[in-house]
Amino acid sequence: MINLDDLKELLLKSEKPARYTGGEFGFDDLEKSKFNICLCFPDLYEVGTSNLGIKIVAESFKRRGYTADFCYTPWKDFGDGLKERGVPLYSLGMKTPLAEFDMLGFSLQYELSYTNVLYMLDLAGIPFLRKDRVGKNYPLIAFGGPCTVNPEPLADIADVVFIGDGESVDADVADIFVECGGATKEFFNRANELDGVYIPHLLTVKYSKDGHICGFEGQTRVKKATCENLDCAPFPKKFAVPNCESVHDRAVIEVMRGCYRGCRFCQAGFIYRPVRRKSVETLTEQACSLIKNSGYREVSMNSLSTGDYKHLKELIHSLKENLPQEVTLALPSLRVDSFDGEFAQDARRISLTFAPEAGSQRLRNVINKDITENEILKAAESAFNVGYSAVKLYFMMGLPTETEEDLKAIRRIVSLIKGVYNKQKRAKALRISVSVSTFIPKPFTPFQWEKQITFEESLAKQDLLRKELFIKGVSLSWSDYFTAKLEAALARGDRRLCNVIISAYNKGCRFDGWIKELKKDAWQQAFDENGIKFEDYTREWGENEILPWDFIDISVSKKFLLSERKKAYAGQVTGSCQTGCKGCGLQNSCPAAKGDL
Amino acid sequence: MIAFKYTKTNGAEYLSHLDLLRHIERTLRRAQIPVNFSQGFNKHPRIFMNNPLGTGIKSVAEYCTVDTPFCGDFTTAFNQNSPKGVKCVEHYIVSENPNFAYTIEKCLYRVKGISTFNPQEILQKESIVLTDSRGREVDIRPRIYTLEVKEDGVYFWAGCNEKSLRPELLGEYLCAIYGGAVGEIIKLDASGNFKL
Repeated sequence: MINLDDLKELLLKSEKPARYTGGEFGFDDLEKSKFNICLCFPDLYEVGTSNLGIKIVAESFKRRGYTADFCYTPWKDFGDGLKERGVPLYSLGMKTPLAEFDMLGFSLQYELSYTNVLYMLDLAGIPFLRKDRVGKNYPLIAFGGPCTVNPEPLADIADVVFIGDGESVDADVADIFVECGGATKEFFNRANELDGVYIPHLLTVKYSKDGHICGFEGQTRVKKATCENLDCAPFPKKFAVPNCESVHDRAVIEVMRGCYRGCRFCQAGFIYRPVRRKSVETLTEQACSLIKNSGYREVSMNSLSTGDYKHLKELIHSLKENLPQEVTLALPSLRVDSFDGEFAQDARRISLTFAPEAGSQRLRNVINKDITENEILKAAESAFNVGYSAVKLYFMMGLPTETEEDLKAIRRIVSLIKGVYNKQKRAKALRISVSVSTFIPKPFTPFQWEKQITFEESLAKQDLLRKELFIKGVSLSWSDYFTAKLEAALARGDRRLCNVIISAYNKGCRFDGWIKELKKDAWQQAFDENGIKFEDYTREWGENEILPWDFIDISVSKKFLLSERKKAYAGQVTGSCQTGCKGCGLQNSCPAAKGDL
Repeated sequence: MIAFKYTKTNGAEYLSHLDLLRHIERTLRRAQIPVNFSQGFNKHPRIFMNNPLGTGIKSVAEYCTVDTPFCGDFTTAFNQNSPKGVKCVEHYIVSENPNFAYTIEKCLYRVKGISTFNPQEILQKESIVLTDSRGREVDIRPRIYTLEVKEDGVYFWAGCNEKSLRPELLGEYLCAIYGGAVGEIIKLDASGNFKL
């Protein structure tokens, strides 16, 4: 066990030492049990403590009598300080070195956190590669979270990968571990039979001479885990209240999982299918319990598209009725067409964010974002009428079939929004910020085969936007191209990228999602040294090619993704599941397909 | 109004002042102790703390006032709902805000890790000019009220507020002369122009 007093001098030298001390209110004292997992979040304490997923997974272990502790990536001052002093990275609850756990469960929320996984393993004194750990007494290295729909870039590091919902299968694996008395051959074989479990060493990838994947051997079908009933699923009654302010420092309830809309670029819209809802009763009970036990003053109603929740009005009514009066409600992820001035009235905010994603109606049809200009303007108007005076607009560039005209159409929307604002005399001048990110083709979307635009193309597009959007009161920003390229490569990568990630880490890469920390040259060198080209992963892929993640069954059929791709090129809208089942492959188990929307 | 004395130990010594305030506010809300709000455009709960304690310094004598109509067992309610290390020791019902940030004049600290020495050598000096962390020259001698060497550390009453002396500054000074390395620092008591 680590004694904090021994680390005093390092803690005092580090920024925000409260990140590393534990002792949060609401975090029960832990004791070792038959199975001890440390949930590791590869980002800072403030980010990790805002994540709901690891809290749910921890709850599922706790309910079976197992011990679930937490650890987050330390900032470099503290992490490097631990290393210099020869102190291993420890869990926050029991202050136990990570190497002493039975399993380290890393939550992969975004691809750019992969080097932080290595940083944590390094600080814990655990070898990166599975082959270097075999037969030695190291914890099982497990991965979960949305990025594991393509776990291949980390396949040589992982012992176990959880794909899909973590409510029950994660703890099922712990049961098997206990029954088998450890990570035996029997353990892996039995775990392998569960839906949602992928054991990378049981799968061999075959490559052809040209370097493309030509087949899989071994465990060639892995089905994602799906939690059918969220009302009965484990959900914490209380949150550990973070020591220092976290990014989402509030109570969070998960209203729905999945999204009806099926925007063709959106990975979450496909991998979280089918849409499942929680009942108003469950949500009210969970919100009340969290508020009572945390002392927060805000409840956030989370989902991919909260405006599509059928009983939203009832829910808001019920929450207002049952929660203490001073508690405010936050509604993130409202779609333009579901925006209602009434919902937004509570929050005393001045800025509102809309995501039309594409400037022209044609391109919005291509990406199946079926909102119209009129809907955007109507929503903006109702927001202005309740006092909003700033709008953030999110767009993408580099979408399939995109032309100059589509980008120029962004100007049109901006001008129309200005027009709506100026229809009436208003106290403040309108501020519009336009944020343009680079399209990243993601696995399990209809655009998974698409290429990503090149650096030169991105420059030309930025140039065009700069000229078009040189308007008073409008600010324009875009995401860093290299970041988007790296994210694309890691998202669509195969096993050969593992060595690249390790090389990059050894060159000092970590916190890659932070533009100030991103070491572009080091990443480029890491690719070069391993003889791998970025372009191999950002190019267009043939529809007959075997994709690195093709052995995973995400429940949405490849046939459906292909037909969606064809419709995209034809500019045809598929629309939301709310307008009828589109036959994505989940027809037999999806509540919406049976009319339960 | 309730004035209370509380601890900042057991890891809580690493909380920043702002985070600590947030934790006290949340603790009160969890304990269902109502707090009156300020009447302004930006309403905030009326909680008044003493001067910030340096990060990493433990304390068993922090003071705080809460504007509340609550008259139950404050100490128990608070402690059932507070984070580890932030625990109420005593509470007092007061009619007026003792205004600890202004009224506390001196604090008793204990610093460990300093090699033994004769305190008279320090107390005899008329001035001790040091450069503080911001590069300013300060005479700390008038800010030292007492100085005692005991088996478990060096004890001293030092100035707070306008004539404040950071205990680690004195600790480091003593280590530089007599040897040793500053270890645990704990604030044991506070006194000043307030009545409870």
